[in-house]
Amino acid sequence: MDVISQLQEQVNTIAALAFNSFGTLQRDAPAVQLSPNYPEPVAKPTEDAINVMEHPKTMSAALVKAAKQFDLLVSALPLSEGGEEAQLKQIAELQARNEAVGQELQKQLEDAEEELRRVRELFNQAADNCLNLEKPD
Amino acid sequence: MAATSSSYPPPPPYYKLYKDYLEDPESAPKPPPPIEGSYQLYGATYTTDDVLPSLEDQGVRQLYPKGPNIDFKKELRSLNRELQLHILELADVLVERPSQYARRVEDVSLIFKNLHHLLNSLRPHQARATLIHILELQIQRRKQAVEDIKRRREVAQRLLKESLQISDGRLP
Repeated sequence: MDVISQLQEQVNTIAALAFNSFGTLQRDAPAVQLSPNYPEPVAKPTEDAINVMEHPKTMSAALVKAAKQFDLLVSALPLSEGGEEAQLKQIAELQARNEAVGQELQKQLEDAEEELRRVRELFNQAADNCLNLEKPD
Repeated sequence: MAATSSSYPPPPPYYKLYKDYLEDPESAPKPPPPIEGSYQLYGATYTTDDVLPSLEDQGVRQLYPKGPNIDFKKELRSLNRELQLHILELADVLVERPSQYARRVEDVSLIFKNLHHLLNSLRPHQARATLIHILELQIQRRKQAVEDIKRRREVAQRLLKESLQISDGRLP
């Protein structure tokens, strides 16, 4: 896949990671005490709580890794020359060179075909001589 | 009957004009020239001039500087940093002031839209670079073909000379 498509995929991956991180954290977060008037919420010290504490670390690590990958891809962009004009100029030059080489190729081809025609004619004559064909009078 | 003819119209009757095409190719009308600009198709307007609409046209604020030559790498990297900062801000807001998430979410989506627009505006550059590459390859192939033809002609001429010498050697 070319670099730009990879960059676009990476942007979408970052978006998906952020989206999923916030969604997961929001879904699995334990209840919080809003005001001292109300009793503390019942905390369930099951293995779920322990797993929930792992989520932020892994997800943020994945997000940062995806961002680093994006930077890597950006540095791999082959943006050598600046500007549209430089590229258009190069295209015009290459087209002129292509045209010149094409003309030369055409000339060589025509010369080669002419030689082939002559060789065939000579071959015909030589074959006729060998077979000693005579014209019917 | 009118409903069926309007929802499934018959094909246009132009085929009748080509009845004598085999005998006289000039008697039939030429094909229409290619359309330029915008055209109507099944009630919708399309355009032949495909250009990426700028962000303002889509009603989105542009975060990276405008101008003729944009340093794409620098802008992409700074947008990436901004994105990370905004995601962190969103996390903070959700912890402390959860009711104010909307603005942060809008900021994040604005950055994403800018990122995608930047990447899309790289595509014409990529197309031109591909064209340059193809032209270079073609020039190389043509030069190779010229060399091949030259070499083969030399070989053929050499063979002819040899055969001439042989035949001269044979005849008295």
